Amino acid sequence: MISGLSRRLLRLVGLGLPIALASPLLLEVLAAGSLPQVQLSAGSIEPRPIEELTGTNVARDYAYAWRDLAQALDHNQADRLDAYFTGFAKDTFTQRISDQKTADVHVLYVDHGHKVKAFFYSPDGGEMQLLDKAQLEIQVYAGGKLIHQENAAQDYLVLMTPGADRWFVRSLEPIAGSSF
Amino acid sequence: MLRLTACLLLLMRLAAFGEVHPPAQVTAGKGFSISTTGSGDASFYLISPGHVAKREVKLGQDIPVDASDVKKAGRYLAIACGSGGCNSAAFYVMAAEPDKVSFFLHPSRVRVKSNDAINATAFVFDQFYNLVLTPVTVDFKVIPKTGPPIDRPIKSNLGVAWMRVASTPKQGPVKVIAEVGKASEPRVIQQVASDACNLRIKATRTAKAVLIETDPLRDCSGNAIPDGTIVSFTEIDGKGKTTVDVPIKKGIARTQLPVNGRAKISVASGVVIGNEISLGGGL
Amino acid sequence: MKAFLPLFIGLVTAGLVAMAWVESGGLALHEMRSAGTPQEAVEALVTDIQSRNWDRAYARLANSNDFEKQAFIRDLAGSSGSLRTYSSLESFKVWPVEAGADDATMRVRLNWSSAVGPLDDVRDLEVKKEGNVWKVVWPKPQFAKVPPQVIPVNYLRWDVIGRGPTDDWGVQNVDNPNVRITSMNAVERPDRVVIVGEVVNEDTVPAYVNVNATLLNSDSKPMDQEGSFDMISHTLLPRQVSPYRIDFPGFHLQQVKSVRMDVKAMLVPASADPVIAVTDQKMDKDPLGKNVLRGALVNQSGQTVNIAQVLADYYDANGRVIWVSDGYVDQALEPQVAVPFAVDVPDDVASKIHNYHVLVNHYSIHEGS
Repeated sequence: MISGLSRRLLRLVGLGLPIALASPLLLEVLAAGSLPQVQLSAGSIEPRPIEELTGTNVARDYAYAWRDLAQALDHNQADRLDAYFTGFAKDTFTQRISDQKTADVHVLYVDHGHKVKAFFYSPDGGEMQLLDKAQLEIQVYAGGKLIHQENAAQDYLVLMTPGADRWFVRSLEPIAGSSF
Repeated sequence: MLRLTACLLLLMRLAAFGEVHPPAQVTAGKGFSISTTGSGDASFYLISPGHVAKREVKLGQDIPVDASDVKKAGRYLAIACGSGGCNSAAFYVMAAEPDKVSFFLHPSRVRVKSNDAINATAFVFDQFYNLVLTPVTVDFKVIPKTGPPIDRPIKSNLGVAWMRVASTPKQGPVKVIAEVGKASEPRVIQQVASDACNLRIKATRTAKAVLIETDPLRDCSGNAIPDGTIVSFTEIDGKGKTTVDVPIKKGIARTQLPVNGRAKISVASGVVIGNEISLGGGL
Repeated sequence: MKAFLPLFIGLVTAGLVAMAWVESGGLALHEMRSAGTPQEAVEALVTDIQSRNWDRAYARLANSNDFEKQAFIRDLAGSSGSLRTYSSLESFKVWPVEAGADDATMRVRLNWSSAVGPLDDVRDLEVKKEGNVWKVVWPKPQFAKVPPQVIPVNYLRWDVIGRGPTDDWGVQNVDNPNVRITSMNAVERPDRVVIVGEVVNEDTVPAYVNVNATLLNSDSKPMDQEGSFDMISHTLLPRQVSPYRIDFPGFHLQQVKSVRMDVKAMLVPASADPVIAVTDQKMDKDPLGKNVLRGALVNQSGQTVNIAQVLADYYDANGRVIWVSDGYVDQALEPQVAVPFAVDVPDDVASKIHNYHVLVNHYSIHEGS
């Protein structure tokens, strides 16, 4: 005779076991799902066209960069910038995270996607400039309290440079829409 | 009556709440003031791409913003939090005057007489390393070792200016300079000889072998092929084939090969093929 | 009691005599005398060579009076930092070629294990009967002697000063060399797909080159990626051409829609010396009847090359690269001395070969390159 409690326990185990077994897969799906959406167009790029593989890699690495930036600014952890940021961009955001800690501020970016236009790809393939129309929900917290919230359609001027196995964000500058 | 009271209370609350009014646009590295409304103490936050500042302010008074707080270009948020809640406004900081150039010149070695072979790209920054987005003229100056210099003024687009230029017929260093205002960045590129032209060999008999050497190696513009370039000699005789890869030294590639009876000797360098000579027996 | 002392003295004497017999090589002599057949004689000799018991191996030779023991050791153990000096005899196989009443010819295949993989050495050995014992007549080791001389070398070398790791972005750097794959051919082998071809350094500076290939399936998705590993001359001087070969074990051409090639080149310091000539190249058969490309390497410079690898690519009548094979030479290349080599060629490829190109990779202890 199985009691009601035991039955519930069994049901929980029955439900939990497949989830537990599938958890690495689940995490992977969740991780993939948590990547911001990046749509890259390079129709009018100059002076050199972009190779298909390069385009795929740039879009992928830019998405990873935004994921890392959002986590870094939310948790005030500058080391999350190491994988996809370099140069001015890394220095700038590292300084900001340090200041955020001092002011007891953290900023949450809820990312609703990026429409990215690559417009400059240097002849030697060493630099790429992009314009990003990002849809972001920005929440600023001070001392754990929400002090600002907005839905922003923000434009960014991006400079990316290739590394050994990925593209790095070297400059990420929010610009006024009229700059386009 | 109740509605009127509520409106009055709301107005009083808004007055204490305090609005911030930053200028619509500010230049990087220049201090300014943000005006506020309301009254009472408040916490003021300035959040920029590369900096976050917090300080206590009095609402209703101007908040001075130091030049060091606005070095990075981009979108800034000014937030004031008083007893009645928080209010915010956004404004943009634009790059200051052009002050620095990051200059990329490729390749570092280029063959002579190659069309559009030299690529120059210049990124224009202000003194705080903000990209200068307003169009400015970048002067590219190409100064070859011999011949007249070339001037190419190019307008930048969103901080970048680029150009291509052909290499000249003479090998040697070429200086290329990118200039914006007082900022000037020189680079040097090496123009190197092209493929060998009229690759020719001659053979001289010695006691036990044949000494084979090339004529002085030059490209079709008369530039000497650099030392260390590999020249491949092939000799086919009765015992089989003999090959040797020889580096050019002092302008000539030279080797000594044993010859058994009649032999044919040929020469190549990379994809360039030279003449073939036949030797009779008797060695 | 009277009988005990003589008995004791007799036993001690017998023991001492036995020890002296063993010490004086009596046991070895007995073993040697036990070589009652040519097969046993060669096997006993090679077993001693394998255990590096040079004294006993030398003692087994029928013609040990013809050369010094040191020459015999050098013949088998190598010298001058050659590949053989870093090798050990892993296994061997002996079988008769000709057998008579008093002499025979035995063929021995020596399998050496070395730092670069297994190396085969096939030798025909003459075996003679002396009394009741068979002994091996070891071919007299021949070591070419270079006459004392001065070899002028206009030493040519490239050194590189690159951009430092702390230098700013935008600081000028020296570009990597410009290299180009000039040919590529996918070849089906029974157990694998092999990509062969040639790569040329088109620049005026030396290049360190690596060629990688990715097999793509019908959906253009990567199936496997491999590199040329040691089947390429990694250091290419200006305008030098190297063959490359990339193996994909377990794949068949019908699975492959296309191949993505990737060549990477780095600027490295290099020396233009030594120059090695490849003489007397010809297609031939080895003692086992297999197709080989034979020739000799002549180090035209003045310094010893310790280890040499021969890389050969083979062309069909249309000038297309159809195969690339390699072989290490286990002797050091002394200056001006011809050292023979033989590189295996598959039988089905050999019949299609119209021409070939041989390149030598070299390693010298002094140069470290």
